[in-house]
Order: sequence, then structure tokens, then C-alpha cells
Amino acid sequence: MPPRKRIFQRKRVCRLCTDKELVLDYKDVKSLRYFVTERGKIVPRRIYGTCAKHQRQVNEAVKRARQLALLPYTGPTQF
Amino acid sequence: MRRYETTYILRPNLGEDQISEIIERTNGIIESFDGSIIQEDRWGLKKLAYEIKKESQGYYVFSDYAATGDAVDEIERIFRIDDQVLRYLTIKLSDAIDTDGVSDVKEQLALAEAEKAKAEEEEASEEQGETETTAKASEKATEE
Repeated sequence: MPPRKRIFQRKRVCRLCTDKELVLDYKDVKSLRYFVTERGKIVPRRIYGTCAKHQRQVNEAVKRARQLALLPYTGPTQF
Repeated sequence: MRRYETTYILRPNLGEDQISEIIERTNGIIESFDGSIIQEDRWGLKKLAYEIKKESQGYYVFSDYAATGDAVDEIERIFRIDDQVLRYLTIKLSDAIDTDGVSDVKEQLALAEAEKAKAEEEEASEEQGETETTAKASEKATEE
């Protein structure tokens, strides 16, 4: 068996767990922008290492913001 | 009673009177169902992330209230009929709230608001102080 390629992985910690003051709210678009890509997609957990509990909250908040046209379903987030 | 918050978007071309009329009508529905309004906030004109009914801007109104589910049904029924309301979103914040709870929450909100205003004032005065000191410094410089 060839030696497995070592991929460098930095240990990621959930940002919302470390920063207790950051509370997710669909009304607070500025902080939600951190959790979506430039095209408006929700960033997957494997990228930022958000824990399951907080990723669920992110999902909910982003989807609510989308309903109110605070965030786009697709397209640029800066408008 | 339950605590809900509703955000709704109105057409941008409405006059101040029409906006107030819609808000008052909504508040009237809440009160007619024995509910009470905790907070009402006008976010004002905002650009929408995507067009809704050919409008690219919208007037956002946010309200936080304690009411029964029937009141929410009625509000949403009226919103669906009204052509001036582009979008609405109601979220349940807590399952049970009584009149004591309402006044508690109101007090907390008032406190938070007062603190915010205070902090802003302090910031403003600090800035003023800084400009004064710099003004003095520049005066000194000119004297020398």
C-alpha cells in the first residue's frame, strides 16, 4: 500500500461557539453575509467548521432573510 | 397568548399617510383580538435583494406583539388581500406570554434603548472633546 498522502488540515472551531456575543438573527443581514458566498449560497459546514447546532441556526436565519428579500436566493449579496 | 414578530414590506411609492394607515390597521387587528403591541419599528425604505411584484425597493415595517393565533390568521388574511403589502413574515418568539411578561419585555426594551442612546451621546461628546483638544493644540502651534 502506498503511503497515504497527508493533507494538512487546520483544526477549525465553530465560530459561533467561540464568539458567544454573535447571535444569529434573520434581521441582522450584516453578520449573516459571513455565512453565505458572494453568490448567495449558504457556506457548507465543512468549510468553516460550524457545529451542527449552529449550522442549523444559520440555515434558518438565512432562509428567513431570503423570504424577506434581505438576502438573495441567487445572485450578488452586495446590492 | 403567544409572542410573535411580523415583518412586512410595503410598496415604496406609498405616501406617509397610507403607510401609517396600514400600520394602524394592523395594530388595530391585534388590539381587537385582545393582544398588545410590544414594539413597533419602521426600518424605512430598503433595496430588495430581488424584485417582488416588479418593485426593487420596499418599505419595511417590523412589529413585535403578544396575541393569539387567530389574530395572526386575520392579519395575514388582510395582508394577502392588500395589494400594497409585498411580503410578510411572522415568527413565533415564545409559546406563552401574559400581561406581566409584556410589561417586563417592554421595560427591558426601554432600558436597552436608553443605554444605546447614552452610549451614542457619550461617543458624540468624546468626539467633541477630541476636536476641542486638537483645536487647542493647533492654536498653540500657531502661537509658537
